[in-house]
Amino acid sequence: MTEFDAVYYDGRTSARQPVRVRGYTLVIQIVGEGLRLDVPLAKVRVDPPVGGTRRALHLPDGAQLQTDDHGAVEALFPRRHALEGWVHRIERNWLYALAAIALTAAFSWWSVVDGLPLAAKIAAGFVPETWEAKLGEQTLGFFDGKLCRPSALDEARQRALQRRFATLTAGLADGYDYRLLPRDCRGIGANAFALPGGTVVMTDPLAKLARNDDQISAVLAHEIGHVRHRHGLRMALQAAGLAALTAALFGDATSITSLATALPVALLQSGYSREFETEADDYAFQRLREVGLSPKAFADIMLLLEKSRQKATGGGTRDYLSTHPATAKRIQRALSAP
Amino acid sequence: MALPSTDGGAAANAAGPEKRYAVEFSASTSEYFRIWIVNLALTIVTLGIYSAWAKVRKRRYFYGHTRIDSESFEYRANPVVILKGRLIAVALFAVFYAISHYAPLYIWAIYLALLFFGPWLVVRSLAFNAYNTAYRNVRFAFSGTYRTCLGLVLGHGLLTVVTLGLGFPFLRRRLVQFAAESHSYGTTRFALAEGFKRLFVRPYFVAMGVSILLGLALVAFFAAVGVIAGGSAKAGTVRPGWMSTAIIAGVVVFYALLFLQVAYIKARTVNAVWNHLSLGPMRFESALRARDLIWLYLSNFIVVALTIGLATPWAAVRSMRYRASKTTAIASGPLDGFAEGQAQRVSVAGEEVADFFDIDIAL
Repeated sequence: MTEFDAVYYDGRTSARQPVRVRGYTLVIQIVGEGLRLDVPLAKVRVDPPVGGTRRALHLPDGAQLQTDDHGAVEALFPRRHALEGWVHRIERNWLYALAAIALTAAFSWWSVVDGLPLAAKIAAGFVPETWEAKLGEQTLGFFDGKLCRPSALDEARQRALQRRFATLTAGLADGYDYRLLPRDCRGIGANAFALPGGTVVMTDPLAKLARNDDQISAVLAHEIGHVRHRHGLRMALQAAGLAALTAALFGDATSITSLATALPVALLQSGYSREFETEADDYAFQRLREVGLSPKAFADIMLLLEKSRQKATGGGTRDYLSTHPATAKRIQRALSAP
Repeated sequence: MALPSTDGGAAANAAGPEKRYAVEFSASTSEYFRIWIVNLALTIVTLGIYSAWAKVRKRRYFYGHTRIDSESFEYRANPVVILKGRLIAVALFAVFYAISHYAPLYIWAIYLALLFFGPWLVVRSLAFNAYNTAYRNVRFAFSGTYRTCLGLVLGHGLLTVVTLGLGFPFLRRRLVQFAAESHSYGTTRFALAEGFKRLFVRPYFVAMGVSILLGLALVAFFAAVGVIAGGSAKAGTVRPGWMSTAIIAGVVVFYALLFLQVAYIKARTVNAVWNHLSLGPMRFESALRARDLIWLYLSNFIVVALTIGLATPWAAVRSMRYRASKTTAIASGPLDGFAEGQAQRVSVAGEEVADFFDIDIAL
C-alpha cells in the first residue's frame, strides 16, 4: 500500500482541501475532513512528470489531486507514460544533457554543411521543369515591371548575342526552354542573371564592357550553369530549411535575443550562394571547352567586371557578406581549368 | 467550506482585509537547461515531429514553477493536438513563403489575407492558451470574438495609417484592453479600470518625443562635423570612408535607441495594465523598471550570442524570475471562491499558426 499527502480540488471551485491518499492495487482512497472517496486506479489520469514540478492526478468529473510526493505517484502508476517517462529520466542526468549538446551541435553542423543542400537537391528533383519556368516568369515580371526596359543595343549586336547564346544552349536537351533577354536596367550595372526555367537576363552595360564576344559567352555559360543546376529553386529551399533549423534551435529566445542569430544566418546564406557560384563556374569552364572556346575568356571578363565595380564604389568596399567567391580565386580557377 | 454562488462566485468573499501574495518562480536554471537541451536534441533528431512534446514539456515546467499562494499553474495542452496544429501551420507558412519568394507581384494578396486572418489567429490563440491554463484546478477562458477583434484592427488600423503612426499607441491600447477584458478565470471576468488608458499611451509619446529630439541633435552634430571636415579638406577630395563611418554610426545609434524605447515602453505599459487589472476580489501590482529591462535584454543578448545559443534557457528562466519578482497579487479574501465555468474545448490551429507567424498581443 502506498500512502501520501495531497491537495484535493472538487472540480467545481478553486477551494483546496488537504487530504490523505491511500493507494491499493485497484483503487485509491481519498480521506479528508468530511470527505471519503474511492476511485478506481484505471479511472485516474496522471500527467507525465516534468522536472520537479508538482504531480497532478485527474479524477473523474473534473476533480483533481495535487501532490509533491513523486515517489508515491510513480509507485502507484508505473509505466503510464512510456515516451515521456523515458524523456524525464534522461532530462535528469547531466551526462545525457552533455550528449544532447554534442548531438545537437553535430547534427546542426551536418545539416548546414551537407544535409540541407542535399535535401534541397532531392526536393528540387520533385519540382517539374514547367513549374520552375512559371516561377521564373514571376521574377521576370517583377524585373520588367520595376527595373528594366528592353535593350537599347542595335539590332545587329543583339542578333550576334543571340547567336552566341544559341551555340551555348544547342543540344543540351535538359528540358529547359532557354532564351536570352538583353535588358536595360536601372541601378544594376554590368550584370547577368539566370531565372529558374531557362531565362537569362543580360544588361546592356555588360555587353559594352566585354572586349570581345567570347567574354560574353563565358558569362552566359556561367548563367546556363545556374539554370541546369537549378540554383534558384535550390537556394529558396535551402533558405527555408535554414530558417526552420534556426527557429528550432533559437525559437525560445525572446525576440530581441533572437536578433543575435540574424547575422550568422546571413553568413551561412552567402556561403551557400558562393558554393553555387563555384558550381556554375565549373559548368562554364566545361561548356566553353565543348563549344571550342577557352575558359581564359571567363578570367578576362571577371577582371573587367572587378575593375568596373571598384571604379563604381571608389574601391575598398566592405565585403563582409559577399555572395560571390573572391574574384582573384575565380580567375585563378578559370586559368587552371582543365 | 463555503459554497460559491454561480454568478461570479468570488463576489461572496469580496469584503475583508487585503492579503498580499508574491508571485513565486522557483525554476532552476540547471534543471531547465537539461530539459531544454534534451528536448531540443530530440526535436532535431525527429526532424521536428517531437517539437510538439518539447513545447508542452517546457511550458509545463515553467507553469509548474510559477506559484501564487504556494499553488502552481498547470499547462494542459495535449502534444498530439499541438502536433496537428503545427502541421497546418507549416503548410500555411510554406504557401506564404513560396508566394513571397516566387510571386512577389501577388504579395498584396497575402497581406490582405493576413489582415483578415490575423485577428482570427489572435483570438483563437488566446482562447487555446486560456483554455489550457489552470490554477487550483479551475481553467482560464477567453470569450473575445473574431468580429470584435477584426473591427478593432480595421478601425484603429485605419486611424494609425491616416495619422502616419501616431494612432498606433491607441490601436495597441484597444487590443490589450480587448485581450484583458475577454479573459476570465473560471466564471469570474477580468476587469481593467479606466485609469490605465492614459498611463498606457503616455510612454509611446514620451519615447517618440525623445527620439525626435535626439535625431535632430544627431543630424545637427553630423552637419557641424561635415562642415568642419569639408572646410579643411581640399576641394574635390572624395571621402567615402568618412561617409560610411557616419552611416554605420547612425545605424548603430538608431538600433540602440530602438532597443531603449522597446524596454521603456514595455516596462511602462505592462505596469499600466497590471496595476489596473482586477479579478473578482483580486487585484495586481506590477513594478517593472525600464532600466532593469534594458539590463536584462542587453545581458541576455550578449550572453546568448557569446554562448552560440546555449544560454537560451538561462535567459528564459532569468527573464521570468525577474517578471515574477516584480508582480504581486492582492486579494481581499481567500482564493477559494472562484467557480469553474463551462469551458468549451478550443481547437489548436489558431495557436500554432499564430506562433509560426509570430503574431501575439502580449500582456
